[in-house]
Amino acid sequence: MELAVFYFFAFLALGSAVFILLTKNLMYAAFALFLSLVGVAGLFVLSGADFLAITQLMVYVGGILVLIIFGIMLTRTPDKTDDSQSANRILLNSRRRFWGLTLSISLFLVLIATITQATFRLSGMPIKSRSTIKTLGVELMTSHLLPFEIAGILLLVALIGAAYLALNRSPS
Amino acid sequence: MYPIVLLSVLGIVVLYLGFLKSKSILLPATLLFLVVAMIGNFFEWNDGELLYFKGMFAVNKLTLTFNAIVLFSAFMIVAMTQGFQDNEEAQPAEYFALMLFSLVGAFMMIGFENLIMLFLGVEILSVAMYVLTGSDKRNLRSNEAALKYFLMGAFATGIMLFGIALLYGASGSFSLNGIESFVTLNQRSPSYLLYAGLLLVLIGMLFKVSAAPFHFWTPDVYDGAPSIFTAFMATIVKTAGFAALFRLLSHSFSGIYDFWWPTLSILTVLTLLVGNIIAVYQDSFKRMLAYSSISHAGYLLIALTSMTKQTENAILFYSMAYSFATICAFGVLIPVAREKSLEGRPNESYEAFNGLAKNNPLLAFVLTVSMLSLAGIPLTAGFWGKFFVFSSAVERELVWMIIVAVLMSAVGIYYYFRVIMAAYMKEGDTATIRIAPFYKIVLIAATLLTILFGLAPGLFEAAM
Repeated sequence: MELAVFYFFAFLALGSAVFILLTKNLMYAAFALFLSLVGVAGLFVLSGADFLAITQLMVYVGGILVLIIFGIMLTRTPDKTDDSQSANRILLNSRRRFWGLTLSISLFLVLIATITQATFRLSGMPIKSRSTIKTLGVELMTSHLLPFEIAGILLLVALIGAAYLALNRSPS
Repeated sequence: MYPIVLLSVLGIVVLYLGFLKSKSILLPATLLFLVVAMIGNFFEWNDGELLYFKGMFAVNKLTLTFNAIVLFSAFMIVAMTQGFQDNEEAQPAEYFALMLFSLVGAFMMIGFENLIMLFLGVEILSVAMYVLTGSDKRNLRSNEAALKYFLMGAFATGIMLFGIALLYGASGSFSLNGIESFVTLNQRSPSYLLYAGLLLVLIGMLFKVSAAPFHFWTPDVYDGAPSIFTAFMATIVKTAGFAALFRLLSHSFSGIYDFWWPTLSILTVLTLLVGNIIAVYQDSFKRMLAYSSISHAGYLLIALTSMTKQTENAILFYSMAYSFATICAFGVLIPVAREKSLEGRPNESYEAFNGLAKNNPLLAFVLTVSMLSLAGIPLTAGFWGKFFVFSSAVERELVWMIIVAVLMSAVGIYYYFRVIMAAYMKEGDTATIRIAPFYKIVLIAATLLTILFGLAPGLFEAAM
């Protein structure tokens, strides 16, 4: 049963990722990304990381994907003539396909070789706790307090930077 | 630890100071805050080895010295900004706050004891740099540079994060000590996961310090960014990046030296060749400085590859000498380029320096000393930097690497002397450039320090 669910989510994640790669329609790609992220969230649940799965859904599906779709909708199409036949087409062609393909396939093979030969420290251990939220909260407030605080500075820097870059100071 | 807390709080104070009507208080306030952080930095000087927050962050004499170099460079660069007085649209509060926060990131990279801290430090520094690169919003090249830097930097960060995840998968720990004990326990039976993780983290970090073949963003970004932030990027990001690399390799991964030194040595030689040879063909002084920063990353990598007892000292001294000389070079470039501006944009080509020495002897002298130091001519700090780097490589018997490095230093002399020739020998008329007194003091101080450490490099070790 568990194995079947695992394969289902894995297929969901990988299949929609391949679809993103092949489709020419930007909107379809955005929706396929949604399915892919849901698949990954399902895999997180299966490995006992419930909090991570919820965060994944909230941040990526709730935030980033909506942003992407708004981005597509608000971007002007450069060429108005073929609007009706091909909405949201990706107009650019990929170049240097041979080297790109060689590089990605070799990276893929290296990573596959690494992961199949790897001995994970935590593999094979049964998942004991029902939920990880309590542990996460306690750890964030005790042993990982400094990263937690410093992440606040990172967010502040990003906020100031975004506000600064978005500020329109044209004389008119 | 004090400078981190101080600068985090004082950065917010700077933001609030931006509400005041008069912007002229911001520059002195920021300089004062940097001095306060510098004093706070030395509070822990005599405390030996300290660990903070359950082994998240370490403080020792080495990290404090790196902090001091970074703070001093930042002080000089902030002093050269002139408070952006000539630009009525500028928002100095944001610039200064971002600079102070980015220093927090640099301190995190210098003293991290846990890979999470390394990641956060790299991110804080990078995000601040992306914004500062694009701060000249009217300039298309600045916009292009910011976007390029952001996209490539995001990829590099992703690769580094993947590497950290693999390291965690292999060793079950994020802390440097945990990884170190795993490495020493499993020295006989190598874990491929650990190797792959280390390589990916190295790629991410080498991108940040612009070592070949991860250098391709450097020329465009350094060229497009406003000069003052290019100086910031070329000195502080590089110093912090090499401090982080040294910490990672000397601390956690010294047990598998045999694995990473061949990889790193190939990249070192590649960086030296790419940086120096392409720099020869540049017509823009600023772009040449970008390639020169790549080549200096190569020299620092030599020290890292040899990883002997001298390495620590060599990296410290080299990054200090390089920072001072680079700040001087940009400090001369900014007023000269503004004086000679073409079509409203600063002229950063070699021609702008023609005949500089006639009416501006001080600027020409500062430029000469900084170029001599970057080229590694004796009696400047740069010479001793290269000397320490080479001697650590000699100890490891990496002779072929030194041969490449010496050849490339000879190539370097050609392009560094081109601008000196332009300033002294070429015909040209540059009116006397008016420089603010404080700016002048910074230039003179950095030049004097370059000469002082060139005459007596032992002073630096004595201070340690």
